[in-house]
Amino acid sequence: MNRLEKIGVLGAGTMGAGIAQVAAQAGFDTLLYDIKQEFIDTGLGRISSFLRGSRERGKISADEEKEILGRLQSTTELEPYKGSTLIIEAAPEKIELKQNLFKQLDSICGPETLLATNTSSFSVTAIAAGAAHPERILGLHFFNPPPLMALVEVIQGDRTSNETIEKVTALMRDMGKTPARAKDTPGFIVNRVARPFYEALRILGDGNASVESVDRIMRQAGNFRMGPFELMDLIGNDINFAATESLYRSFFEDARFRPSPIQQRMVMGGNLGRKTGRGFYVYDKK
Amino acid sequence: MTKNSLAIIGDSRLARELLDAAREKEMDVTRLSEPSAVAPTTSLVIDTVAGHENIKRVVLQKLDAALPVSAVILSSCLSASTTRLASWANKPERIVGFATFYPLKDRKIVEVTSGMRTADTALHAAELFFKSLDKETVRVTDGAGLTFPRILSMIINEAARSLEEGVAKADEIDVAMRLGVNYPQGPLRWGDQIGLDEVLAVLEGLQTETGDDRYRPAPLLRKLVAAGFLGEASGKGFHSYQEGQVKA
Repeated sequence: MNRLEKIGVLGAGTMGAGIAQVAAQAGFDTLLYDIKQEFIDTGLGRISSFLRGSRERGKISADEEKEILGRLQSTTELEPYKGSTLIIEAAPEKIELKQNLFKQLDSICGPETLLATNTSSFSVTAIAAGAAHPERILGLHFFNPPPLMALVEVIQGDRTSNETIEKVTALMRDMGKTPARAKDTPGFIVNRVARPFYEALRILGDGNASVESVDRIMRQAGNFRMGPFELMDLIGNDINFAATESLYRSFFEDARFRPSPIQQRMVMGGNLGRKTGRGFYVYDKK
Repeated sequence: MTKNSLAIIGDSRLARELLDAAREKEMDVTRLSEPSAVAPTTSLVIDTVAGHENIKRVVLQKLDAALPVSAVILSSCLSASTTRLASWANKPERIVGFATFYPLKDRKIVEVTSGMRTADTALHAAELFFKSLDKETVRVTDGAGLTFPRILSMIINEAARSLEEGVAKADEIDVAMRLGVNYPQGPLRWGDQIGLDEVLAVLEGLQTETGDDRYRPAPLLRKLVAAGFLGEASGKGFHSYQEGQVKA
């Protein structure tokens, strides 16, 4: 089960820790980085409790649990990443921060180390700007939570080599993921093609159907797992509105991506959905 | 008294599926390609034609002229509002809109709507018809494509744009939407199942009714329909099909 390739993950937040867990579970030696030990401890704690749950539900044995945790190392330094096969950056979504990390990795790692950015809002081409070897930089868009979501979008920037894409696509399969390759365009595949699901806001705004009717129709006529308003309340109206607005700007205000004043008002009113107890629906706070 | 009978107008897969479903319930039903051939004893007509205004207008005018005053016309409102469809008839009160997509067996509910001049009795007759096929109905406000066909057509349109812009291959777009956001089918595969002419009809209808660029159809979608590559039923759409199998 142990594999030769060494995987690095930068950032021990929800996404970073999840990605590190996926790599370690697939048999890769995995090195997790964050700027402070307390961030690392939180991330490793999250992984430990996930694995404990898997063991308790009989999905993995106690030996497997121990092996997975044994493949996970952590550091607050970047130097130990020398010799890595693939480093996946999952730092906060700030472009300067990401560019700065890639610049440092440029001087630490030889050109054979492949560098991926886990971003949903920035262009991979932009993050690679100024790097010494842009051909080895690509995007990997994991979905939350990474251990449970099979999909990874593998994003080719303008200067990413085909070889890099092929190698990482194969590595993602080895990690048990289903890769979908896409060009470096706003929203990649999923965040872009899913946007019209929120046409529901327009239908509501035009007075064509109620929140409850739209959700019921999309579940029972369309066989979607959740209706659009239930989904917006789950994601959070703030997060969902920001994603739509970002895509709208990226496409230079194309009418297809125009955000909804209804959702903006919900954000401004603090009616964010499940997390605030009120969104399109009212939730009992327990 | 005249015998209550039912006529289904159209050649689409939805029309054939409705015919089979009605026969299964032992209704007195016929399917016709030519609307003027409708029998004068008909009490309810299901017009499944989803196409362009020129075609749809002729279908409704012929039905309106051939049918007795009491007959109700349940017309597919994928491509225009029901008020607009009814404006082509001498008796707009009898025209009710419905919007759904093939295959009906996957739909637990069907949307129905009244135009501004539709009579309540006509709406009730439409609801009763779907109920007799074991389908629930939901009333929504008049518009092209109502809710489910409108939202799904827009998703398919965005997938078509992504495909023609070279963002990703058809298979990768479909797998990404199934696994990334749990869609029951990939949107391109789904469009091929529905029929791309029907998807295009919804988008064109919305664009005409609203004047909003938001609904403009992807050039690739228009070209596929123009070429007769309507999806599964014609062997090719976004994907190619042989004996029901998806070819990569």
